[in-house]
Parts: sequence; C-alpha cells; structure tokens
Amino acid sequence: MKKITILFTLLCGLMLSGLSVSAQCDSIASACAKRNMDPSFISDGQQYRALLVNSDETAEFHVTFYGGTLYRLAACSGMTDGNLIFTIYDSQRNQLFTSSQYQNAPYWDFSVKSTVDCIIDAQLNPTTNGGSGCAVILLGFKQQ
Amino acid sequence: MAVLITACRNNNPAVDKSLQPNMPKVDSNNPTLLKINNQIFSIPSPIQTAMLIKKSGFPYNKEMLNSSDNYSKYDTKFKKALNLGIYGADLGYISLYDQTQDALSYLASIEKLATDVGVSDMFNATLVKRFQNNMGKQDSLLAMVSEAFRRSDAYFKDNKQNDISSLVLVGGWIESLYFAVQANNSGKINAKEVVTRIAEQKISLQNLVKMLQPYSDRPEYAKLSKDLSTLADTFENVEFVYNYVPPTVDAKNKVTSINSTSTVQISPELLKQITDKIAAIRNQIAG
Repeated sequence: MKKITILFTLLCGLMLSGLSVSAQCDSIASACAKRNMDPSFISDGQQYRALLVNSDETAEFHVTFYGGTLYRLAACSGMTDGNLIFTIYDSQRNQLFTSSQYQNAPYWDFSVKSTVDCIIDAQLNPTTNGGSGCAVILLGFKQQ
Repeated sequence: MAVLITACRNNNPAVDKSLQPNMPKVDSNNPTLLKINNQIFSIPSPIQTAMLIKKSGFPYNKEMLNSSDNYSKYDTKFKKALNLGIYGADLGYISLYDQTQDALSYLASIEKLATDVGVSDMFNATLVKRFQNNMGKQDSLLAMVSEAFRRSDAYFKDNKQNDISSLVLVGGWIESLYFAVQANNSGKINAKEVVTRIAEQKISLQNLVKMLQPYSDRPEYAKLSKDLSTLADTFENVEFVYNYVPPTVDAKNKVTSINSTSTVQISPELLKQITDKIAAIRNQIAG
C-alpha cells in the first residue's frame, strides 16, 4: 500500500511538473508579449519555446526573414527582462547579432533587406539564472 | 531560360556604420546544443505573403479562397486543423482588402473549426465582437487574427498537441503559397516580387516536412508528408544564392540592419510545375 502511495505521489508530481512547465511558458510568453512586443508589429502566429536545464544549454530556432520587412524579436525567460541571451546567425553561421553586446536586451528590431534564413540560439543568462527555465521567443513583423 | 530575381533593397542607408559590431564566426558543432525534438522551426506568417500580393496590385478575388461553407465537410480533426490554417490565411487576406461581410463569414467558420479542435477560447464571441468593432482598421484586425492564432499555437503546445499545431501551420502555409501562384497566374500584377516569394518558400517547405516527420506513422500525416516531400523535390531545382554582408547596428533605436543579399533563380517551367502541384495539394485539402 505504501509503495502504491509513493508511486501515485511520484506520478502526480511528474504530471504537475509537466503542467507547471507549460503554464510557466505560457505566462512568460504573455508577459513577454506585453512588455516587449509593440502593437504595431503583427505576430507571426507562433510561440517558440524550449525548456533549458541550465545556462550551458542552447535552444536553436530556425527562422526565415523576408526581405523588405522589419521584424521584432522578443526573448524572455522568467517574468523579468534580461534572463535570456539570444544570438542570430545566418545559414553560414556568420553571427548577425547577439543581445549579450547590448545589455541582454529583451527585444531587438531587424531591418531585413533581402530574404535570409537564420538560426536563433537562446541561452539562459548565467548571472541571473542559476537553474532551469523556459525560453520563449516571439516574432512580430511589419512591412517597410 | 532561367529567370533571375534579385531580392535586394536598401531602405535604411542612414544607419551608423561605426557601430558595426565585431562579428566572429562560431563553431557550428556546439556540443551543448539542445534541440527540442529537433523541430523548432518557424513558418512565415501567411499574412506576409498576402501583404505582398496586395502590394503587387492583385485585386480582391473571393473565388480564390476556400469557401467558408466548406467547414461542414471536414469530418476529422486532421482535416479541421489543416483547414483552420487555410481559413486563417483567408481571413488575413480578406482583412487586408477590408471586406467586412466576407471577414465575418470566415470568422464564423473559423470559430466552428476552432471549437472542434479545442481552441474555442481563442476564437470566441468576444473576438468576433472586437473584430466587428474594429472593422475598417486593418492593422487592428490583422493583429487580432495573428494574436488569436499565436494563442492557439500556445494552447496546442501546452497540451502536447504539436501535431495539431503543425497542421494549422501547414494549412496556412499552403494557402498563402496558393494565393501567390494564383496571383502570378492572373497576369494582373507586378509579378517579380511574387515569383521571388514563391521561390523563397524552398526552405520553409523543408522545415514543414521536418515538422511533420514525427507523425508520419499515421496514414493521413504520411500522405500529406509524401505530397509535401514531392513538392520539396520540385523546389530543389530553385537556386538560392546567399551573399553575407556584415550587418549594421543602430543601438540607440535597437535596430540591426541585415545587409546580406540573396537571389533566387526559377525557370518558367519550374514555376509551372510548382503552381500545378500546390494547387493539387491545396484543393485536395480544401475539398
């Protein structure tokens, strides 16, 4: 009976932690959109997320930026800004931008002249985050 | 004869080049890279292609859309999710052309499909009311549609329904490419930019195929994957040439200009093959 109780408790814990991670990601995304996504940008209709176990891990997001478009990229983890560092590379792995050079800015705009396929790497900020966290990337656009 | 299309514009020459950051190359074999199911791929919003089509001079064409009455024909969650994506792209297109009555009709069909796939909260009566109150305010309408789809995407991911999320994205992508090939076929537009956009779908299509891979053991998904893979094979003949140019940064305004250039080459024969294949796939899904 005791074993069954322990097993049940473990299962419940696992289920709740799964729900908690999802809820955590959703709350982060909502807060991130409110703080960092100007209403003049139209959402691309997706919510990119990854659970990072520590600041050594990197989540990789593949994005196509169309020419003639201004994009806003917002990157959040946790309910305050600056917890997620994001770096953008082109398909040849040339670095195009890193938020770490700009005080870990939670958002940045990208004026794209010609269509380019990019990779966004996101890492938890080791100075503000000692444990795991949900990395959320939001993308908005407007025509130029 | 190949058609050479250059997608290179310079709209912001006034950026401060002295702020150009040091841009090192990095090791692509990062051992700490974490890939979540290897499938975090962005699919461009269908609204972006609809905007380009409108800008090219293509007039409003309701005949091109999937009829809003068709929603009742979709009898499986698979078909409902795909057509939710298709109707979302249609609604974005309609909103761009300020077609009030059509917008409400499509929103009603979306509401029904959304309820059936479990995201009724995102397309409820409140959204319809807000939509009605903002008729004529194009930016507000587009923002509302996109936000509702983003929240749906979040819901699917929260509830481990990435398969449904993928179908909605696939539906929207197929419809937007269908718009582009129809607009190009009409002969009523400045086609250069539209043809470029069609050719640029090569990578997005590869991403879609990868997104569907985890579900290919299910017959409906396998058929869709096969159709898209066949289309991707055709797209393989599109030539995409990329030239890295260092970006420039306007740190004060938090803007980086990505100055790299790209060109695509697509022959008229190849364009015709893509047009025929996407029309066949889209019409099979829309029914």
